[in-house]
Amino acid sequence: MRRVIEGSQAVAEAVRLAHVQVVSAYPITPQTHIVETISDYCEEGIMQARFMRMEGEQSCLAALIGAQLMGVRTFTATSSQGLAYMHELLHWTAGARLPIVMAEVNRALAPGWNIWADQTDSLSQRDTGWIQIYCEDGQEVLDSTLIAYRLAEAVNLPVMVVLDAFYLSHTYEPVDIPSEEDAYRFLPPYAPRFRMSTVDPRSFAGLVPPIDYMELRNDIALAMEDALPQIQQIEEEFASLFGRRYQPIEAVSCDDAEIVFVTSATITSTTRLVLQKLRAQGEKVGLLKIRLFRPFPTDLLRQALKNAKKVAVIDRNFSFGASGIFAQELKAALCNLPSKPLIYGYIAGIGGRDVTPEVLEDIYRKTKATAIPDENGVWIGLKEKGHGC
Amino acid sequence: MNSEMKNSLLIPLSFATTDGNKTGSWRFLRPHFENKTAPCSAACPAGEDIPQIEMLTAQGDFKDAWETILRENPFPAVCGRVCFHPCEGICNRGNYDEAIAVHTLERFLADTAARYDFHPPAPVAPPHNERIAIVGGGPAGLAAAWFLSRMGFACDIFEAAAEAGGLLRWGIPAYRLPDDSLLQDVERLQTAGIAIFTNRRIDEAFLTDPGNRYQAVIVACGHAKGQKIGIPGEDSATVVEGLDFLRDLRAGTTVSGDGTTAVIGGGNTAVDVARSVVRLGGKAVIYYRRRRQDMPAFAEEVQMAIEEGVTIRELVAPTEIKRAGNKLLLSLQRMVTSGEEAGRARVVPDGDNTESAEVQHIIRAIGAGPQESWMEPPAEGPDTLTLSHSRIVFGAGKRPLLYAGDLANATKSVTHAIASGKQAALALDIFFRDGAAAIASHLAGCTVGDGSAQSLEIYLDGERKLRSAHIVDYAEINTDHFSFAPRIKQPRLLIEERRRSFSEIEMKISAGLAMKEAVRCFNCGFCNNCDNCRLFCPDVSVIREADTRRVNYDYCKGCGICVVECPRNAMSLDKEECA
Repeated sequence: MRRVIEGSQAVAEAVRLAHVQVVSAYPITPQTHIVETISDYCEEGIMQARFMRMEGEQSCLAALIGAQLMGVRTFTATSSQGLAYMHELLHWTAGARLPIVMAEVNRALAPGWNIWADQTDSLSQRDTGWIQIYCEDGQEVLDSTLIAYRLAEAVNLPVMVVLDAFYLSHTYEPVDIPSEEDAYRFLPPYAPRFRMSTVDPRSFAGLVPPIDYMELRNDIALAMEDALPQIQQIEEEFASLFGRRYQPIEAVSCDDAEIVFVTSATITSTTRLVLQKLRAQGEKVGLLKIRLFRPFPTDLLRQALKNAKKVAVIDRNFSFGASGIFAQELKAALCNLPSKPLIYGYIAGIGGRDVTPEVLEDIYRKTKATAIPDENGVWIGLKEKGHGC
Repeated sequence: MNSEMKNSLLIPLSFATTDGNKTGSWRFLRPHFENKTAPCSAACPAGEDIPQIEMLTAQGDFKDAWETILRENPFPAVCGRVCFHPCEGICNRGNYDEAIAVHTLERFLADTAARYDFHPPAPVAPPHNERIAIVGGGPAGLAAAWFLSRMGFACDIFEAAAEAGGLLRWGIPAYRLPDDSLLQDVERLQTAGIAIFTNRRIDEAFLTDPGNRYQAVIVACGHAKGQKIGIPGEDSATVVEGLDFLRDLRAGTTVSGDGTTAVIGGGNTAVDVARSVVRLGGKAVIYYRRRRQDMPAFAEEVQMAIEEGVTIRELVAPTEIKRAGNKLLLSLQRMVTSGEEAGRARVVPDGDNTESAEVQHIIRAIGAGPQESWMEPPAEGPDTLTLSHSRIVFGAGKRPLLYAGDLANATKSVTHAIASGKQAALALDIFFRDGAAAIASHLAGCTVGDGSAQSLEIYLDGERKLRSAHIVDYAEINTDHFSFAPRIKQPRLLIEERRRSFSEIEMKISAGLAMKEAVRCFNCGFCNNCDNCRLFCPDVSVIREADTRRVNYDYCKGCGICVVECPRNAMSLDKEECA
């Protein structure tokens, strides 16, 4: 059924279809509409889930860890400071191999207080062992959430489904909502591979000495490696059921492109327009959307960029003292290749600033005109000092 | 596991328990259960265990609640009606919304005891050989007899009047304390084997008569003789003594209340007289030399008197009484406030500003003293021991003589009289066991909190002895665990009925209402098994066993959450002693 809904509601619809049994939440803009919708569903009996209002995000995730250990499917959603507050338990979730799924609405970190789109919150959690999927539109949000449960439960790692604040969370778009039956066929009930039980009591997550700890960590690394072929397989299955095809990365007109935009999330949609315009002008330009950030799809990226001369990475995030994070990751992915494109990093749209087609065209022109990239990345659209800065 | 997978889902899992990790060794602070003292029970002259009484009432365990009162106060039917309830004035709940209606609940428990014919358990103390004589069957004497009998003494009460009760029987009008309510409490003493000899006036010689069979005498004759104003024209023909007026009324003697009656004084007797005059069909005007807020009468009684039609004239002092035909002319000096004395406004004559009133009757109620001079306790000397509520005279080879009740109390109230009787009884028990020298220190060991009230339960090494003397403050109550609830509204007779009858004003309340009121009680410092400590403990280290709890110190990390989440400060957190 096709309905015009918010990105936030698309998450909630997927959570409903996934028959999640325990939901915990602490409100934070712009995540709020997600959990508000779910709490309505629980209240109205549309969802048969236990909805727990917690006193903070750390408790939210702690509660889900407990619930998931009991062998039920769980969900939470957060943003920005809330995610930062969960940090310790993000590590915990992956370490305990719990397939928890979270919606993370990208929002800038404070201070200064800012509730608008910025990816630094989720990207700065890249080393916690969570799989991260970045979404472009409402449909992708819904579909990725369903895929996330399949993937998480296949490899026993937690998954973060990431969506931009307001540009996606609060934007109404037509979204195809799968029927209960179809969703059930794609995502059957959770079958935990281990669980706490009073019948067979065991202690979980205890002390692991050096003689064993490395193997445990290596197994998480292997599970992360497994996640890449797994998600491709699951996405194939999804495509055959629903007719919508997703891939860890999406390459548009890259084969003959000299300059390739590398984007993620909603900036991708704008770039698609710019791409058409530039192509019409005869420019040899391509677009590469990164959907799966963890595990980082290195081989797929290498393949997609093998013909490119220059790559313009748009980062709505920044790692202080280094550069934009997607640019960093891409450099690392390509650096051992004998022949590789130049990587141009652009910092744009920080704290929700609009990334318009003009901004992207400006980036294209700069990339074309610049012989040697700036390793720190170039901040686009900064006001001159003294203009209210 | 999917065979295509490289990972093998390694998770840290143990078949052993984590019990071996005794996290209690991390502890720097040590929580423990420690019942403390509620401010109400320390303020109660009789030291009643109010938090426990209200807890039991809230649980519907009315018999245990009633027996808990009886451990410290033999007169719940009386005190539920006429005690001026200092407990409510200091109630911590008063800082939150409104104080608990402790007296209303006490009255309810007394009514319930009467309805179901509750009887207190028999005393467990071994019998004494000594026999005690008590002169005066008022509240102090009756209380002394009760507590003595609880401790195994035989005692005889000698009462000059035809019935026991003293001021309760003869000095308080029936609309506040009906005869049968008093009788309910007095009969319990007789059931317990205490002999009350009525119409037996004792003289001074009895106190020292070597021929009588008693090993100690308690003098508790009360203040039954009204004081004179000391103005010209004041004599028995013009002025009626308030206590006499009330006694005649209670005795059923015809008393006149026609026309206007001037009542001189500002205490409870003055108010009782004025309200009785209204009920007899007359008009009552109280003349008081200070301001209304300075009246020693209970504010609630004064308020009800005004509702019933009593006029209160403040800042007027009588100066002379003259006959004017069949009426009386009362001259009055107007007063003004000027500075302070003894904590209240000092009043002085307002120059030659005077007035006069023509009235039918003048009733005087400005205070009372002992009926006979020998009833007065002797001055302090080497042979006397002055305690908070009593004075004892020892003589070499003589039996101890104890003065109790109004004769020895600074505050003349029913509950202070009961406290005094209790103190005298405890003093005698100590005297006969350990001698006179032990009395003061033993009594100090059984006070409630830091108050002056003594507890029989503490004296007899009951559970209350374990409670800390710390009086729980409002700031120590975790009000997050309470919600606002209005205090019970005492049902009363309609005002029209009150003006014309001596029927009891305050009506009974139902068990449902009583429980609703009792559940409002914070139970300050007293564990009521709410289980918050156990539910909030993040380390599952509060263990419930049957109806009690203990901290499992093997695993308690000393976070103190249990102490903070205890709504009523029945837990304490101390520094851990380092080995």
